[in-house]
Amino acid sequence: MLDSPSSIGKNADLSKMKSNERRTLVDAELVASVAWLIHLRWIAGAGVIVSTWMVGAIFSLHAPEIPLYAIGVGILFYNFIFYLAERRLKRSSTSSIAFGRLAKWQVAMDWLGMALLIHYSGGIESPILLFFIFHIVIASIFFPSRTAYAFALLAVVLLSVIALLEYFGIIPHEPVTGLLVTPLYLNQLYLIAEIFFFAATGLIVAYLASSISDRLRHREEEVVNLSESLQHATARLQALNDGTRLVGSTLELPQVLNRIVESTAKALGVRACSIRLIDKTGTRLEPVAVFGLSQAYLNKGPVDLESNLLARQVLAGKTVNIPDAHSSPLLQYPEEARQEGIRSILSAPLSGKSGPLGILRAYSVEPDGFNKDDEAFLTAIATQGSIAIDNALAYQSIEALDAAKSQFVRMVTHELRSPVSVISSLLRTMTAGYAGKISEQQLDIINRASRRVYFLQKLVDDLLDLAAGKTDVRTKEKYERVDLISAIQMVLSRYEVPASEKGINIEWRNDCMDKSTNVNATPEGLDRIFNNLISNAVKYTPSGGRIKVMLANFDNEVHVVVEDSGIGIPEEALGHLFEEFYRAPNAKAVEREGTGLGLTIVKDFVTRFGGRVNVQSVLNQGTRLTVILPLASSSTQVVP
Amino acid sequence: MNQKCILIIDDDPDLRLTLRLPLEADGYSVSEASNVIGGRAVVKKVKPDLIILDVMMDTTTAGFQFALDLHSSDPRSEFKEFSKTPIIMLTAIHSTTPLRFAPDEDYLPVQTFLEKPVEPDVLLKKVHEFLVE
Repeated sequence: MLDSPSSIGKNADLSKMKSNERRTLVDAELVASVAWLIHLRWIAGAGVIVSTWMVGAIFSLHAPEIPLYAIGVGILFYNFIFYLAERRLKRSSTSSIAFGRLAKWQVAMDWLGMALLIHYSGGIESPILLFFIFHIVIASIFFPSRTAYAFALLAVVLLSVIALLEYFGIIPHEPVTGLLVTPLYLNQLYLIAEIFFFAATGLIVAYLASSISDRLRHREEEVVNLSESLQHATARLQALNDGTRLVGSTLELPQVLNRIVESTAKALGVRACSIRLIDKTGTRLEPVAVFGLSQAYLNKGPVDLESNLLARQVLAGKTVNIPDAHSSPLLQYPEEARQEGIRSILSAPLSGKSGPLGILRAYSVEPDGFNKDDEAFLTAIATQGSIAIDNALAYQSIEALDAAKSQFVRMVTHELRSPVSVISSLLRTMTAGYAGKISEQQLDIINRASRRVYFLQKLVDDLLDLAAGKTDVRTKEKYERVDLISAIQMVLSRYEVPASEKGINIEWRNDCMDKSTNVNATPEGLDRIFNNLISNAVKYTPSGGRIKVMLANFDNEVHVVVEDSGIGIPEEALGHLFEEFYRAPNAKAVEREGTGLGLTIVKDFVTRFGGRVNVQSVLNQGTRLTVILPLASSSTQVVP
Repeated sequence: MNQKCILIIDDDPDLRLTLRLPLEADGYSVSEASNVIGGRAVVKKVKPDLIILDVMMDTTTAGFQFALDLHSSDPRSEFKEFSKTPIIMLTAIHSTTPLRFAPDEDYLPVQTFLEKPVEPDVLLKKVHEFLVE
């Protein structure tokens, strides 16, 4: 039988897996050999029958034909049984042991067949004697050298027994008459010489064939090992490559960490891998990503930096290998590790720009499961992981900071709006005369205060708009489908009176005809956009001027143009127009009070709705602002 | 003429003053409460003809909750007799903040909304809509 291949891999988790692979490779060869042998035996059986016939019919020699034919048929018969057995094994069994046993049975039966053939073709005088040699070669190819020698010896014993039995007349001598002039089976010297040379040849052949096949087997094993280590190296490269890509690709921390643990465990070929990061208090390690560990093991208890020697060593920047987890004094939870089936642990430090972050750990079910290469590999992964974690953490804190800032602005603005609104209300109560009579001068002062409060209120409202934009977490899909025509017309109706009072003509033109003018937006947002644009146009267009509001459809976009014959924008101001609090110098001259946030808000909303805004202007001639929004697809719900 | 009574429920004393002055000048009798708990007691005592209610007081929706209680259609409601008393709701919630309610007038038991800052003329106009005989 074939020796089961020895475990060569230093890592037992890995080598276990790999030895299975190797066995299947060798198995495949054994299965093929068994089939080949059966194939050859059909020829051998037929050869015996044909040769027996030829002996009498062609060479006119006399041989014990009936036993020889019987042996030929017998060979074909037992070969047929082996053939059936082989087919059944192929279908049902994957065990190499069964195939090994079948191979042994075949050789044993062949030996018996050979013994009978030799007996019925003249015993020690038989010309078929030499055939035993190639049977020994086949056995040497099939089996390890010791088994091959055993079969070679068996052949010698069989021959000797036949020769002796015939010599002493216990069994009859069955020669092929006419082949030899003088019978030799009674010649002692011949007997001894023949058996001696047969034994020597058999053993030498067994030795030669075994050596060659051993060497081949050894080569085969080397090839398998090489391909194993190639696969191993590829997996590691893949893991490293994964890590490198992670550093750049995703900034979502849990995703980064989960990918790291999974690919590391697979590349090392070990049971599990985990990442623990130092928690906010800086006193404990919290598991943040785990691959291959049970919940029970994770719940084993807190990993306190104070009491965990291993964690302290690793966090100090050292990769620590614990070859036997059951007896290491460094472990805080050796009993739990034993229950989990963990025998060795390798830990590498994760450290960021601002100091240690945590620990990357690999767990093997084999004692001494990690070597120097593994240490170097885990350290490399940890270094890359640290960069990824650092980036993700930095991104997280930026996001949190941004959210906190927007939340703060919103809160402050709300807090500001309330008192400003009350001041405004109080002042109006007074100017309306509900608080008693006031003098002309007092009224003037209160009106001035009211104007300033009104401006303050507007500023607060605008700031609130911008802050709301920053905290609006809605995605494009969550916006409603709003019709632009009604949104624009609502704003236009608001400015009809102020414009006509100023002697400005507003022209409204819809070039979209019957095409859709629906966009994904919020009605309030669109109102803010067009209110800002049209109020600006009215504000900065002198008496007798004109304003054109036009709507047009291009491909999948809709353009809203607000054009005026106003004061225009100086070229140097155009680039700053959408900046927060920026106001063009000529605008300040016309209207002293203004927040400088109107167009910032326009741009903010337009961008949120997936559109863009552009401006063209000639000083003292007019301004043309174009808002371009993507049209809503026809499948979404319409909001009237 | 029988003087109509208006109850103002708002936690801001300055705002209550800005509402009270024009209303009193217009000849209404005005009562005040500074929160919903006070409002629940005062409403039974003074039996107002109209209630002006702030949305955000103790909580962001305290005003709405009280309005729902007042206009409850449950015959066992403690405010049964006020189920038809008109309510004007004061809102200072800016149009684009995420805190904005979408005031669905069919659903909310409120007759109308009044934006802060309060314009005295607008206030009186709205009050007249409900209280003119």
